[in-house]
Amino acid sequence: MGVSFVKVYKDNCNRLFLDNMVKENLVKDVVKEPYKYGFITDIETEKIAKGLNEDIIRLISQKKEEPKYLLDFRLKAFKKWQKMEEPDWAGLGYKKIDYQDIIYYSAPKQKEKISSLDEVDPKLLETFDKLGIPLTEQKKLTNVAVDAVFDSVSIATTFREELAGHGVIFCSISEAVKTHSDLIEKYLGTVVPASDNYFAALNSAVFSDGSFVYIPKGVKCPMDLSSYFRINSGDSGQFERTLIIAEESSSVSYLEGCTAPMFDTNTLHAAVVELIALDDASIKYSTVQNWYAGDEEGVGGIFNFVTKRGKCLGKRSKISWSQVETGSAITWKYPSCLLLGEESVGEFYSVALTNNLQQADTGTKMIHIGPKTKSTIVSKGISAGNSINSYRGLVKMGTKATGSRNYSQCDSMLIGDQASANTFPYIKSQQPNSDIEHEASTCRISEDQLFYLQSRGIEFEEAISMMVSGFCRDVFNQLPMEFAAEADKLLSLKLEGSVG
Amino acid sequence: MQSKMKESYPILEVDNLFASTDNLPILKGVSLTVYPGEIHAIMGRNGCGKSTLSKIIAGHPSYNITNGEIKFSGENINSLEPEERAQSGIFLGFQYPIEIPGVSNLEFLRVSTNARRKFLNKEELDTFDFEELVKEKLELVKMDQAFLSRSVNQGFSGGEKKRNEILQMALLEPKIAILDETDSGLDIDALRIVASGIKKISNAQTGIILITHYQRLLDEIEPNYVHVMADGQIIKTGGSDLAVELEKKGYEWTDNFLQQT
Amino acid sequence: MEIIEKIKNNKLIDNPTEIQKICLHKLQSSPLPNPKSELWRLSNKSKFSNVLDYSVNQKGPKFDMPYPKNSQSTIRLTIGEECHIKLIKENYSIQQLSEDELDKYINKQISCFDQNENWSDLLNLSLSCAKNILGLKINGSKIPPIEIFSHASSNSLNAKTLVIFLEKNCNIELLQVNLGKDKSSLSQSTFLSLKENSSVNHGVVSYGEEGSNLLNSINVIQQKNSEYNLGSLHFKFNYARFEIRIKQSVGNAKTNIKGMQITKKDEQISTYTKIDFNGPNGFLDQINKSLADDKSHAIFAGSIIVPKIAQKTDASQLSRNLLLSNLAQIDTKPQLEIIADDVKCKHGATISQLNEEELFYMRTRGITLAEASKLQLSSYFKEIISFIPVSKDRWDLLDKLLNEN
Repeated sequence: MGVSFVKVYKDNCNRLFLDNMVKENLVKDVVKEPYKYGFITDIETEKIAKGLNEDIIRLISQKKEEPKYLLDFRLKAFKKWQKMEEPDWAGLGYKKIDYQDIIYYSAPKQKEKISSLDEVDPKLLETFDKLGIPLTEQKKLTNVAVDAVFDSVSIATTFREELAGHGVIFCSISEAVKTHSDLIEKYLGTVVPASDNYFAALNSAVFSDGSFVYIPKGVKCPMDLSSYFRINSGDSGQFERTLIIAEESSSVSYLEGCTAPMFDTNTLHAAVVELIALDDASIKYSTVQNWYAGDEEGVGGIFNFVTKRGKCLGKRSKISWSQVETGSAITWKYPSCLLLGEESVGEFYSVALTNNLQQADTGTKMIHIGPKTKSTIVSKGISAGNSINSYRGLVKMGTKATGSRNYSQCDSMLIGDQASANTFPYIKSQQPNSDIEHEASTCRISEDQLFYLQSRGIEFEEAISMMVSGFCRDVFNQLPMEFAAEADKLLSLKLEGSVG
Repeated sequence: MQSKMKESYPILEVDNLFASTDNLPILKGVSLTVYPGEIHAIMGRNGCGKSTLSKIIAGHPSYNITNGEIKFSGENINSLEPEERAQSGIFLGFQYPIEIPGVSNLEFLRVSTNARRKFLNKEELDTFDFEELVKEKLELVKMDQAFLSRSVNQGFSGGEKKRNEILQMALLEPKIAILDETDSGLDIDALRIVASGIKKISNAQTGIILITHYQRLLDEIEPNYVHVMADGQIIKTGGSDLAVELEKKGYEWTDNFLQQT
Repeated sequence: MEIIEKIKNNKLIDNPTEIQKICLHKLQSSPLPNPKSELWRLSNKSKFSNVLDYSVNQKGPKFDMPYPKNSQSTIRLTIGEECHIKLIKENYSIQQLSEDELDKYINKQISCFDQNENWSDLLNLSLSCAKNILGLKINGSKIPPIEIFSHASSNSLNAKTLVIFLEKNCNIELLQVNLGKDKSSLSQSTFLSLKENSSVNHGVVSYGEEGSNLLNSINVIQQKNSEYNLGSLHFKFNYARFEIRIKQSVGNAKTNIKGMQITKKDEQISTYTKIDFNGPNGFLDQINKSLADDKSHAIFAGSIIVPKIAQKTDASQLSRNLLLSNLAQIDTKPQLEIIADDVKCKHGATISQLNEEELFYMRTRGITLAEASKLQLSSYFKEIISFIPVSKDRWDLLDKLLNEN
């Protein structure tokens, strides 16, 4: 693909610039990169009727054999949701979602009780194999425990026994409802209340599955934990819910990956993630999001409306979000930290890449409540094609957040003159003894840099990809090893040839 | 020479000083006495507490004295504000002089000089008289008048910042000057200028504490005493030959010393 | 909407002009300011509503100039006072716009208003009678400095409008002084049109007394190769809103803005700016500083819009804020919206207190904490104030004002 050399001209001021035709061709080339996770698994699924009402919610709850408090939680959330309005402050342009035209529960048909992975439908195992997430005993990844979620349900979780040996609970949230009901009842909805926002309320009413992690006091989780979300059906929404609790002095690194087949309709994904860190605990949550983004014309793709929030409840606790967002037609996502505990730390590292007609509105909220709390925000947005890429963030210093600090850096890179990059930080302080610093810049890959690299014999596309990954370096450095390589690859794949 | 000095009263007495910042103990029992005319050198590795000691003597608000006391001219100054200490004659030459954008160097020097003069019951100087005085002192550190119109330390090179510190010392005529790594970041010419400035300013009534890593400043200004600090304590005191010895042996022996005790 | 009711009930607008009628109608037909737009402006509702608590005053009572004219050549005008001006000199001319010209221009402006954004201007034009609208056409070279005063009188709502056409190749120094009075509101809208190669050094100094309110709106349209420099200072208002809207209509223009707002007691002062680059090679350097003490609230919201047509725009916006008290509050929202790829845009925001290391450094030189703080504050102010085109003696006035309390 693509062109390995570029015509470089000098204008009369001796500035270098590229031939416009070449640029345009390159941009066209990029866009053609196919979505390689777009296949559909042909499997018999159990789906309930379309639409949303109290009966549907009762049905979901009944299918999952839930205790009464959970059904009440769902119904209460539903009542609130009915009274709420879909938010429009992000100014995202999309066709109105018909919430009655969505299937809220869809699960591959399997035998009633699965005692080992070998009993999982081979088609499902094959699906995850193809996605690079082998689950079977022979092939499974050696250093990561995986919870695989297919449409509305969790298929399998690897390394459960090994983890249990350390007292770590890692299972689907449906299972946790049965086996660790006390923890669910105590923590569910305490970080993201059902009434928090429109999509969180919807999720609270209809969530089907997701992961549950509990790290007991003093335990450093021996391996990375990972959930892999796969949307397969075109007409069902995915509403997963993740809850991670890190007890005193414990730590965990959690990874999340997402893909979906190509459909020409839009699929709704409205997840809720809640993290809780107690004294001296640390949670690192990394996401590589590669949901199907729709085609060049903007047809199809996932609507990704996600509420992710962590509560640094304990002293010196730390929650770190890192994300690489490359997929979805629309991303609406603000992983946030509530910094309550004294000296707690919140971090947000993000790369968001948009192309074609994608829209990404992402950022974070750092709410400093306790004294001496610290937060760092590093956001890198790359917009190509006709896409819109916005950083939206809030940093707030409450009246008691004495001695607290925030540093934010938001950089945008524009590729082509049709893409747009916006930065909407909101900074609020009520505490004089605190410091907030925000910086943002916009740039493009300069011809000088390109020429310099090319003059050292580096091919054009290689040079682009070097510069993009250099631009994202600060964020990639925060990702776990396996993810960093994957993210780098993903970006260069997405961008191949797109720059001029 | 020593016995003659001891007839006078000490300028500075640091007595079994313990101090911490953010509940982290930094000084763990430092004692030090400086008489008029004496030059003391404090040496030690980075992080041994020598810069902290200088900041505490100057009254930096981030540090808490948890035990012990600092006496200046016989008076306990533990609870004095930094400006009160400066007005009464304690001078701290900063390792990293602070840049203050927007505040003119001349104005800054004039306000501080007058604050000291007021304390000494001397007449405060108006702009005109002050400029005369500054011009005279600029000679000492071979600084150009252009520095006066710039913002305090802003855009100054490392050497210029250090010379600006010595200029302030010359204007404030302190009773004791603590010079924190005044030699760091200076080339040999700049070092000579700074050293000769210090020598010209000091006299039989002034005490000087030189905080340094290296021997080379001490080649220019010979100390009466050399103290070696490690882990918040003075672990050895000697004459100027101790500095030479330290230069040869390196600081490793201070680690060994700590391990033994 | 309560505010609209207040306007309707304000019987004092008698014999409204056509423009007043149009604006009143616009205000009444759409419920403005709408709650959503006020939400992002973070206005304190009761303070905001207080702006319209007074009845309209169309007379311009005499007032005492805050400082004497420093030079004979300075041209000094007070909006609302009989100020017929027609200066035709060898090098330059300053003339009042004819009624026709003025009507035509204002009508054109109104047609481009965004109801949400130009609410203050609509209000201003619906209240401002012909007598309180000053329109000037300026041409030529070596023009003496111009000072324009706008003032409120106690217990009333005062609306004043200024329109200036600056012809090609013309450079002026313009100082606008807006004076609030005890328990009063002042609505000042200013429209500046800068033709090719013209430049304005514009100073805006607004200060009030106890219980003064201010709605101050500046609209600037810049033609190519024009340069607009604005230095502004707002302080001592119960409630003040300062809006700056600049449009570089074909790009290739320069804009420099340095603004400062100081709030004390329970005051609220906000600055909203919108810079629209409507062509290539635009330049913006903007800094907004605020200082909030006591129980006050300072707000800044700035937006920079760079559409596709505005290639090679170079824009920078900085919001620097000092929060000096536990009960004070600062909100800042600098925003970038960019579609063009070959641009250099950046923004930054900081909220902090006085720099402790700097304070300590000065204190080790014998300067008292109070003095050191003052030195720091005055250096903080200086960058802005030195950008306001004012002469030395007025400097003293500002110094005195800033050092009050």
